[in-house]
Amino acid sequence: MRVLAVSNSGKYYGDLEGFISRLDGVEEAILVTSDTPGGNFSKIYRVGDVYGDLLARILGEVGEPDLVVGIHTRKVLEAVAYLAGARDMPIVTEVVGLEGMTVTRNILSGRGTAKYSLSPPAALTIAPGKFSGQLSLGPPEVMELGEKPSTVVVDRSEKSRTGVDIESAEIVVGVGRGFKEKDDLKLAFELAEALGGEVGCSRPIAADYKWLDEDRWIGISGKKLRGKLYIAVGISGAPQHIMAANDVKVIVAINKDKNAPIFEYADYGIVGDLYQILPILTRKVRELRGV
Amino acid sequence: MDVGVAVKAALDLNVLRSNPDGTVAVENIPLVISEYDRNAVYEARRIADSTGGRVIIYSFLTWWPADRKEKDFENVIREALALGGDEAYVVVDPTVSGSEPRFTAKVLASLIKKYGSPSLVLTGEASTDMTSSSIAPYLAATLGYTVVTFARSLKVSNGGIVVERDVEDYIETVRASLPAVVSVTGEINSPRLPTLLQIRKAFRKPLVKTSLSELGLSPMLPKYSDYRLVTVKRKRVVLEDGSPEELVDKLVSYLVEEGVLKR
Repeated sequence: MRVLAVSNSGKYYGDLEGFISRLDGVEEAILVTSDTPGGNFSKIYRVGDVYGDLLARILGEVGEPDLVVGIHTRKVLEAVAYLAGARDMPIVTEVVGLEGMTVTRNILSGRGTAKYSLSPPAALTIAPGKFSGQLSLGPPEVMELGEKPSTVVVDRSEKSRTGVDIESAEIVVGVGRGFKEKDDLKLAFELAEALGGEVGCSRPIAADYKWLDEDRWIGISGKKLRGKLYIAVGISGAPQHIMAANDVKVIVAINKDKNAPIFEYADYGIVGDLYQILPILTRKVRELRGV
Repeated sequence: MDVGVAVKAALDLNVLRSNPDGTVAVENIPLVISEYDRNAVYEARRIADSTGGRVIIYSFLTWWPADRKEKDFENVIREALALGGDEAYVVVDPTVSGSEPRFTAKVLASLIKKYGSPSLVLTGEASTDMTSSSIAPYLAATLGYTVVTFARSLKVSNGGIVVERDVEDYIETVRASLPAVVSVTGEINSPRLPTLLQIRKAFRKPLVKTSLSELGLSPMLPKYSDYRLVTVKRKRVVLEDGSPEELVDKLVSYLVEEGVLKR
């Protein structure tokens, strides 16, 4: 089997190698990347940026693969899905599991799963963090590709960010619309500090109110949590938010609305006013941890 | 300039139901307009108004059985028309029992080519039920259009488009040529709820239904199987009786017991 792997960052080579190494009978795995070459692939094409029409041109050079496997980032997803369309291949995105040639993906905003049986040629993207491993097809020959895609990037700016990484935080305190004013968020920051954790937020807090930067936004379009404790405060629990916290070990909800959906997805819930509960919780955590 | 919008009637996540064996009871789940498609229709209206053109809605009923889903589906299309569409072309076909991006994109491409061929087609960044995010690029490749995904702003200028794209940690401003397919994020605008007048008007707008065979397409069985709801394994202990002090004490002792809060 011949596989074309696609990434826009070196940090995903292990994910791709892990997935590909679990496939049977892979003789060749060619990587297309816009980052520094790496990994034990058969061959590497280095491109300025990853685009669908560039991938199609590379295929013209290397021949048709049985599988195209991209990492599920926005750039790679667009490119791989475009390539699939150009080649009339099926496409399955954000794959989280593999058994034989059957892949699993999450559906219904994380509340469901579906299986898909691949019959090559096919294209897919894999969710980061679900596969890891190494191939032994290298050391790869690296080719530079100077071709330009049809979409031209005229400007690039970093999103406003605070540098926090809530995706790797063990403890996160999430804030939602239950907070009446931006200043009140300090109650959550104090609790997070007492716990040694970070503050995250629901979509309205980042996208609509802009009280916090987007790197704190917990959701399927935002950041996904996988730590040991998530305390959702004043968050009603939109499906997209809940899904992004699915992998957390213990979920706590604090909300004054007893019927808020978040309680269905929490291990422990307090029905109460966050303005009363948070200061007490912060004090008790400080006492307990001696901070 | 005419602007097309690919709209999905998605399973309503607030009313998910499962069969006794845990599989998704698709037959019994109502359909609603996919969240970000509302943004797409709203944006299409804005562009059509500023450039002088129509907003054409395209849709394909993928959930089954078609006869039981048709009413919900029509409501979704009427909502899209109320939000800013001028006319709609849709496929409702009793032979359909599920789809996958490859087939959905083919059906949409056939509809678009047959009815209007607008040089700009918008859609939401992802559907709320299947969230594959792959329709826009797949459709673009099928139509031979350029593609830009995850647009948070969109301008038509000099016969092309300038788009601010949200690519995770960066915002990229890109220039692309027309014809193009663009997927939009929820940040691009804030759609207002349609007024009563808009809703009433929507019922008088053309809604043309067609079938796969009329488009020259044969049904395709998707290779998806085993749609299954994930059972929630949370403990769901809700503390509500007692003073705030007592409630917090209980919570803290649970968290210590769980080993997530250490002394």
